[in-house]
Amino acid sequence: MGSASRIAGKDLKLRMRDRSVFILGILAPLVLAYIFYLVFGPAATGQGLSLAYGAVDEDGSDISSAFLSVLENAESEGVLELQTFTGPTEAAAALDAGDIDAYFLLPAGLQQAVFTNQETTIDVVGDVDQPTSTQIAASFAEQFSSGVGASQAAVAATASIAGVPVTPQFISSLSADPAAAGMSFTLVDQTADTKQLDAPTYFAAGMAVFFLFFTVQFGVNGLLEEEREGTLARLMAAPITRSAVIAGKGILAFLLGVISMTVLIVATTLLMEANWGAPLGVALLVMAGVLSAVGIMGLVASVAKTPEGAGNLGSIIAVILGMLGGTFFPIASSGGILTSLTYLTPHAWFMRGLASLSSGAPWTAALPSVGAILIFALVTGTIAFISLRRRLTR
Amino acid sequence: MIAGLLEADEGSVAVVGEAITTGSTRGRAAIGLVPQDLAIYPDLNGEENLVFFGRLYGMGGDPLMGRVGEVLEVVGLADRKDDLVKEYSGGMKRRLNIGIGLLHRPRLLILDEPTVGVDPQSRNAILEAVESLSREGMAVLYTTHYMEEAERLCDRVAIIDEGVIQAEGTRRELVSLVGEKDRVAIEATGNLDAVADTLRAIEGVTDASATDHRIDVLVTDASSILPRLLTSVSEAGGSISGVEVQEPNLEAVFLHLTGKALRD
Repeated sequence: MGSASRIAGKDLKLRMRDRSVFILGILAPLVLAYIFYLVFGPAATGQGLSLAYGAVDEDGSDISSAFLSVLENAESEGVLELQTFTGPTEAAAALDAGDIDAYFLLPAGLQQAVFTNQETTIDVVGDVDQPTSTQIAASFAEQFSSGVGASQAAVAATASIAGVPVTPQFISSLSADPAAAGMSFTLVDQTADTKQLDAPTYFAAGMAVFFLFFTVQFGVNGLLEEEREGTLARLMAAPITRSAVIAGKGILAFLLGVISMTVLIVATTLLMEANWGAPLGVALLVMAGVLSAVGIMGLVASVAKTPEGAGNLGSIIAVILGMLGGTFFPIASSGGILTSLTYLTPHAWFMRGLASLSSGAPWTAALPSVGAILIFALVTGTIAFISLRRRLTR
Repeated sequence: MIAGLLEADEGSVAVVGEAITTGSTRGRAAIGLVPQDLAIYPDLNGEENLVFFGRLYGMGGDPLMGRVGEVLEVVGLADRKDDLVKEYSGGMKRRLNIGIGLLHRPRLLILDEPTVGVDPQSRNAILEAVESLSREGMAVLYTTHYMEEAERLCDRVAIIDEGVIQAEGTRRELVSLVGEKDRVAIEATGNLDAVADTLRAIEGVTDASATDHRIDVLVTDASSILPRLLTSVSEAGGSISGVEVQEPNLEAVFLHLTGKALRD
């Protein structure tokens, strides 16, 4: 271990004299995280997004009232702000003035059309500069329409069984409250898979773990650089084991990763008010994440012939894993196969663990993610070590 | 293989009784390796390079720093020890490369073409340093393409061609192995044809031929026969104005053994 530490110490001194490690390990992730936060911040994560909607009820029916009551419930939950308008002109003026992001137009004859299986629409008019809010408003309307569709089918089936025509009186006899027929919105508590960090923390953590893989390359690829520069022969001629040489590079990679992550955590906490959560949990996540990065990049180094080759291949893998792991966009929230694929990246586990911690959970909440990340580290690190040792013995 | 970098195809290597393999570490402590390519860190200064490698060989504290100072003096870099190596000249880098190999006082120093691409002053300094180390009792394994270096430095020489040892022994043994003769050129006046006839009759003389003012004599061992040659020239009426002894060099031996010019 002494020889490995000496090699790591020497490499650390060399890297400290090479400013590129500061640029790639600290400056780039910090600047990018801040830029992403400024550009995409609330919109990308859905947190802190202010939804201001208007509604024009030209129908004045039970169904339109049900829709409005759902919106009012959402307002009372703090999800959105709602203003009602007497007509579309007034709503459009508010939209132009920027008072609202979008408004719902519930047309006259809405309920009648529903009861008679006629086609009808709820118009959503949005501000072109508020695409996310408008999209969410459209989702509200779509969900309501789905509920209406289901009710229409149920009503038709019931009327068919009863052998009576579908009339407003018949509908009223079935249910005095159309909202109770399934046309309601519910606020869902997000699971760990879809839970979101607040914007500063999300981008700080995303960029930190994304660039972590580049940072540890400075350590791991040192072995290939020594091979190219000829100093590896002298190291191996010294009375130390091959394992010590590899371990020295691993120690340096780990140190660089931990230093980079620590600086970024402190800096983003101070500069961007990122909320990383329980320190012990964060520390465990960081150490596990760094170990996995060392393992994966070590694996890359073991198959590469030159430092440049390792750098190129490592960059490709870092970008793919970073994108898939949701360090740029919250891919896990998209559902489907993409959500499943994120489990194949330590990045996603890191972000999941951090999301739990950031929401105020104790440090133990990070343990499942830490365990998953350590499996990545163990598997890739073991293969990399064996492969590199074999390479040095040839 | 001798330094423990590669596994031996066959046979074994032992230094001070310790087997040298890629997996062993004890024996390697007795070896100092100076690779052909520079094996130093450009972004460390000269002293830092020496200290780092010294620690890998188990040195530390005052003994290490004292030895680092000694080596810097030996390789002539004491006044540049604080400069980054990337600011050194090629010759200075070569000398530091050798200094690292010397640092831990190895019993065996392996020098792999240490003078390639070196200016004449640095080259001479390197050769003098090697001679000095040899006199102090350090075994030196010196690989070179420059035969004059091998002749100057080495007690025993192995000629390797395409990875195979073609011949091995002292310089004289190698020369005699291939039947090469010493050439003695005698500048003289008089009846040189008669003098040449006289010399041919001497035991140990293979041939003698006269030209205008010179007799070329081929002998098996010039150092032992030279006094008798000179006496015989005088007795045969020749007047000697100069003598030059040309021993066959290793390059001639190499060419004789391999039939090819030097390469690789």
